[in-house]
Formats: sequence, structure tokens, C-alpha cells
Amino acid sequence: MTALDTGLAAEYAAIYAYGAAAVHLDGDQRDLAEELDAEHRARRDALLDFYEAHGLDAAPAAPAYEVGPVTDAEGAQQVLLAVEQDVATAWRAGLAPGDLGEREICLDMYTEAAVSLARWRIAIGVTAADPWPGRPQ
Amino acid sequence: MFTTRRGLLVGAAVLAAAGCTRETATIITSDADLTAALRTARALAAGAESLGYGDIAQDHLTHAATLERLLRPNTVGEEAAPSYADAAALAEAETEGGREAADACLGTDSDYAVVLGEIAACRAAHAAVLA
Repeated sequence: MTALDTGLAAEYAAIYAYGAAAVHLDGDQRDLAEELDAEHRARRDALLDFYEAHGLDAAPAAPAYEVGPVTDAEGAQQVLLAVEQDVATAWRAGLAPGDLGEREICLDMYTEAAVSLARWRIAIGVTAADPWPGRPQ
Repeated sequence: MFTTRRGLLVGAAVLAAAGCTRETATIITSDADLTAALRTARALAAGAESLGYGDIAQDHLTHAATLERLLRPNTVGEEAAPSYADAAALAEAETEGGREAADACLGTDSDYAVVLGEIAACRAAHAAVLA
């Protein structure tokens, strides 16, 4: 499994989670959730285009992903926080020395993921500060 | 083994030439990318602190501490910190610092690629929330 495969899988999972969680949000949080959902879909589409252009097989999305029970806004906030952290962690894994083209894609995706993570943190009242976005604890 | 003074001296010379002495090995790491990242981290930390963004300043200080550790035993002297007029100016500096670290990340085959990429992403996130 390549770093791109890992990142694509994380984007699939994020899109599924936004579909399950965003309906429990309203106001500015709902607006931002929809915006971030769209960004995940755009990254997925860009990756699928890359796979196709390079004659590579992309794994399809799973029918469902484990996101836990989401019944209210607070639960939705925490699920989406965990999702954004997971996406950043997945793309961070592709930074290590290796194929330069793949690393460049991973760095771009990781940077976008770090921005999304910071924006979601602010939206739910958590400081955006994080010196090492997505670094496993 | 060394039964005469001359024999002892010759033996010592042979051992030293063979590298069999107890001198401490020191790995010297002088990396231009890490040095540049450290200077930028210090400047951004001072700028964020002066504008009241203490949590962002703390991120940069964490980066600086890590970079200083990676550069040991070399040290990088402190420089006069630039001043930023407002959040927009700081955001611009964060963006530039992020690009600098991203270029360094992609330009190295060393194990420092990951930490440079993390710093790039962190600075980009700062720029986004400050803008």
C-alpha cells in the first residue's frame, strides 16, 4: 500500500464521516463542515484523476466506515475533529524520503489537511495551535 | 608486551594510528535547511508574541527547540526579530515561511524531510487562521 493509497483511504473515510455527522450541526459549524466535506471530495477526485492518468488502480471506497454513534452536535464535533486528525496523519506518512512526485502530492495534501484541521478546531472552540499537525501521539 | 620504553612508545603510536584510542566521536551536523527554518521560527515566534498570538508563538518556539536540538553541537546565534504591523503581515510571513519549509522538505533526502514538512504545514495553518 503506497502513501497515496493510505491518503486516499483517509479521504474516503472522511467523506463518509461528514455525511454521517454534519446533519447534527447547524449555523457556522454546519457551513464549515459542508465546506470541508467538499474539500475532501475535491482531494479524492484529484487523486482518482492522478491514478487514472498514471494507469494505476485506485482502491474503491468501502461501503461504510466506523465512525461510532453520532446523535448530537457535540458528538459530531468530536467525530469530525478525529477525522481531520486522521487525514493529516495519513498524509504526513508520505513525507519521508522516497519518490519525489509522490512526496510532493503528499506534502500538498498534508498542508491542506493541516489547514482544515486548524479551521475545524477554531470552529469548535479549541485552539488551532499544534506544532506537529497529524503527528501520532 | 612493551618491555622497553621504546617499545611502549612504538606500541602507543601504532594503537593511535589504528584508531584504538578513547577519543570521543562527535557527529557534526550543519544543515542549511534546518538553520534557515530555525531563523524563521524565531522570527515568527517573536512576531506572533508581539501581536498577542501566544499560542501561535508557542508553536514556533516548539519548532525552534526541536531544530536547535537537531543542529547540535552547532549553534545559531540570535538575530534581531522583524516586526509585523498586523495579523495580515504576520499571515504573509507565515505563508512565506511555510513555502521555505516546504521547498526544504522536497529538496532533501535526509530524515529531516518529515520535520520540515510538519513545520511547513503548521505555518500554512497559522496563515489560514490569521487571514
